This record gives sequence, C-alpha cells and structure tokens, in this order.
Amino acid sequence: MPKTKKEKLLLKASIAFAAMFAVAPVSNAMHIMEGYLPAGYCVAWGVVCLPFLIAGFISLRNKTRENRRNLTLIAMSGAFIFVISSLKIPSVTGSCSHMTGTGLGAILFGPAAVSVLGIIVLIFQAVLLAHGGLTTLGANTFSMAIAGPLVSYGIYKLCEKTKVNRRVGVFLAACAGDLFTYCVTSVQLALAYPSEAGGVAASAVKFLGVFAPTQLPLAVIEGILTVVIVIGMETYAVPELRSIGFLSGKKEVY
Amino acid sequence: MLSIDKLCCQSALRYANAAEKFVYAVLTLCICVAGRSWTAAVFAFAANGVLTVWKGKIPLLRYLRLLLVPAVFLIVGTAAVIVNLSRNPMDAFALSVGEWYLTGSRASILWGLNLCATAFASVSCLYFLSLNTTMTDILGVLRRMHLPSLLIELMMLIYRFLFILLETASAIMTAQESRLGNRNFAVRVRSFGGMASALFIRAMKRANALYDAMESRCYDGELRVLAEEHPARKREIAGIAAFETILIALTLLT
Repeated sequence: MPKTKKEKLLLKASIAFAAMFAVAPVSNAMHIMEGYLPAGYCVAWGVVCLPFLIAGFISLRNKTRENRRNLTLIAMSGAFIFVISSLKIPSVTGSCSHMTGTGLGAILFGPAAVSVLGIIVLIFQAVLLAHGGLTTLGANTFSMAIAGPLVSYGIYKLCEKTKVNRRVGVFLAACAGDLFTYCVTSVQLALAYPSEAGGVAASAVKFLGVFAPTQLPLAVIEGILTVVIVIGMETYAVPELRSIGFLSGKKEVY
Repeated sequence: MLSIDKLCCQSALRYANAAEKFVYAVLTLCICVAGRSWTAAVFAFAANGVLTVWKGKIPLLRYLRLLLVPAVFLIVGTAAVIVNLSRNPMDAFALSVGEWYLTGSRASILWGLNLCATAFASVSCLYFLSLNTTMTDILGVLRRMHLPSLLIELMMLIYRFLFILLETASAIMTAQESRLGNRNFAVRVRSFGGMASALFIRAMKRANALYDAMESRCYDGELRVLAEEHPARKREIAGIAAFETILIALTLLT
C-alpha cells in the first residue's frame, strides 16, 4: 500500500485517470475536436489536403462520366464507410469504441475515392454526431481520409505483390492504417501545442502516450474486424466486389 | 440512431433562413478560434446556449449531454498539454516520479483553461448549426456557395443512404442479439463481420435499384429539388451583425 502523501495522490490520480476511460461515453477514433487547433493550423492542414482532394475529385468525376450508375455506387460506399464507423464494435475493455473504417474503405474503393468520401463522411460525423468539427476538418481529413488510407492501400498492395497471405495483408493494412492515423493526429496536436519542456518531440510523445490506451487495442480490433468482414464479403458478395473492381475478373463498372 | 438529426427537425428555429444560421455559426466559430479570448468564448457559449435551448426549444438536458460528447478528448488532450515530464520542477505543481517530475507551469494551466473555453464555445457553435438546421438546408447553402455539383449530389445521396443503411444494420444487429450473437468476444467479432458483409451486399443492391428508379424517372446527371424559401428578416440580419461586432470588440479588447 502507498505510504507517503505523494504516493497516495499519485495512486488517486491514476485511479481517476483509469475511471475516466471506463465511464467514457465513446472513445471514438481520434477526431480532433471542434475549436481545438489554432486558426493557422486549421488553414494549413486544409491546404495540405487540397491536392489529394482535387485528385480524388477528378478521379470520381471521371468514374461518373464513364458510367452514371457509378454515382449511386460511390455514394453508397460513402454511406457504408459512415455506418461502419458509427456502429459500436466489440471491445475488450467494455467501453464502446468505433472503427475508423478507413482501412476497409481504402482496400475496397482505393485511396483516391476515399479521400473525397472521407471528407464528406467527416462533415457528416461533425454535424450529425459531433465527432470532430468544422474548423478541424482539414487536420482530420489529412489524418483519417488521406494519410491512413494511403498507408493501408500501400501495405495491402505490397502484400499482394510479395505474395503474403491475403488475410494477413488485410489485417496488416487495416491495423497499420489505424495506427498511422493515430500517430499523425498526435503529431498534428504536438505541432500545434509544443511542450514547454522538450518542444514538439516531447509533446508528440505525450499525445501518443495519453491516447495509446484506447488506440492500440482499437487498431488490433480494427484489423481483426476488417479481416472478418473481407472474409464474409469474399464468401457472399463476389459479384458486388467485382462490380467495384476489388476482385480481379471482369470489371463492369466503377 | 442519429439523435442530433431528430432534434433538429423539432427545433423552433428550423424554418429560420438557413444561410443566416450558417453564416452566424461559422462566423462566431471563426472569431472564437482565431481570437482565443476568454470573454468572447464565454459570451459566444452563452449566446449559443440561449439561442438553442430557449429560442430553439431543444431540451436542456439533451443539450448538456450532447455538450459532453467531446469532453473525453478535451480532458485527455488538455492534460497532455498541461502536464510535462521533466527533470526540473515548474512553478504550478510538481510530483516526483523517481528522478523525474510530473510538472506544469502556471502559464500553461491558464492556457489550457483558455483552450477548454474556446473549445466549448466552438462546440456550442457547431451544435447551434446542427441542432437548428436540417442537413438538406445546409446542403442548400453549400450549393449556393457554388461547391461543385458532383460533391453536393454525392453528399445528398450519402445523407439519404445513411438512414437506409443504419436501419438495415440495426435490424441485422437486433436479429443477431436475439440469437445470442453477442454472447462472448469471439462470437461478437464474427457477428460484426457477418453484419458488415451483409450490409455491403444490401448497400450495393440498393444502389443499383436506386439508379434504375432514378433513370426511369429521367435522371440525366443532376438531381433537382425544389427548396422551400424562408427569406431572411432584416431584424435578424441586424442582430447577427451586432452580435459579431460585439464579439470582435470583446476579442480585441481582452
């Protein structure tokens, strides 16, 4: 048992900290909340996102020009990402958490489509669920709709090239995408709020540290769930997967 | 499932001019984030609370509970900003952990509190918009801001699909629950995967069916919907202008 006053205080603080995670209503993926970033950073991250968004927009426009039917398919994919990321997922700790859905989205629809769909989903999440916000939209879009999906997609393709087991590839892609999103968000926060002792690097370590208890298990669960979902789809939804170009074979639309 | 969306349909301010509400919310948000002033944040927070709860007739308890949604992120993030791990103690508090100190300075505590105030004021702006304006009205405003029509159309379709998919998902989850599909972690993971893949199949089928329905009604690449006109009143515009002026003055003075 703790003896000194300080030890008791430390114990109490750690209990309070742990309790906070237990009662946390939602520990969602790392959306930076509304009004949390200084104005300059909001604008800067928005500008960084622009080239990716424009590339994504052009690719979507070409797809809809190719075949108008693609418009409803793309919209449905966006809604699918939103719904998957807003549903409670099974978690070990008991608090309810959510998937990011970006890994799955990137694997299924490709990173270009996911960048535009991602920003739309983030707007809806901000307005309808109050996850994230309008001023932090740029930063959130960069971490969740651009950086994470790009890493997921890259790892997935790499695993495909090097003939790694497909399921392992999907797991790694989803897991790494989630972890990378979490790292990017921590760095974004650290850049905006450098630590008094140690600057940006120390601050990044702090942010990585405080969000680790929720984010690390989440990444593993997200990886497992993505594999289970992909197995389910490959079993039951082969024509649908062909239609979005996920499985090789004849590509009709999208 | 989307309680904010339900609440905004009951709001007494629902039929006020959408552009007016949008401009008010976004301007206030920008001033709060860019100005970072105590008084302006408190003033904006109070104004938004009064407008939403008293004018908009949103139940107070629901409003307060919604305000707490981003609280976890705020607490964890601000803790990371305030608390430092350093070899030398700082002036506000210092807890020794071995040779190191968990420590923080007075300035950073004041700064963290300021950050909390700004964040809460910004969240209240976001809630003013989302609790009093329906998504379709917001999309109408975005259309008038000349966002690319493809983007607006995608958002409109996605918004519609959200409810279809959420309903389908919740029906599947109820069915799984009633068949003990959540009895332990492994089964829960399998159920979630099954649900998501079934949802994907349904989503793609619905998308194709919707396209057929749209095409049979002469869809030619553009969705045109008549919007209800609620002209802005001069008094309201003057009120908003006065409010923003006071807010800017408060920001500049402190």
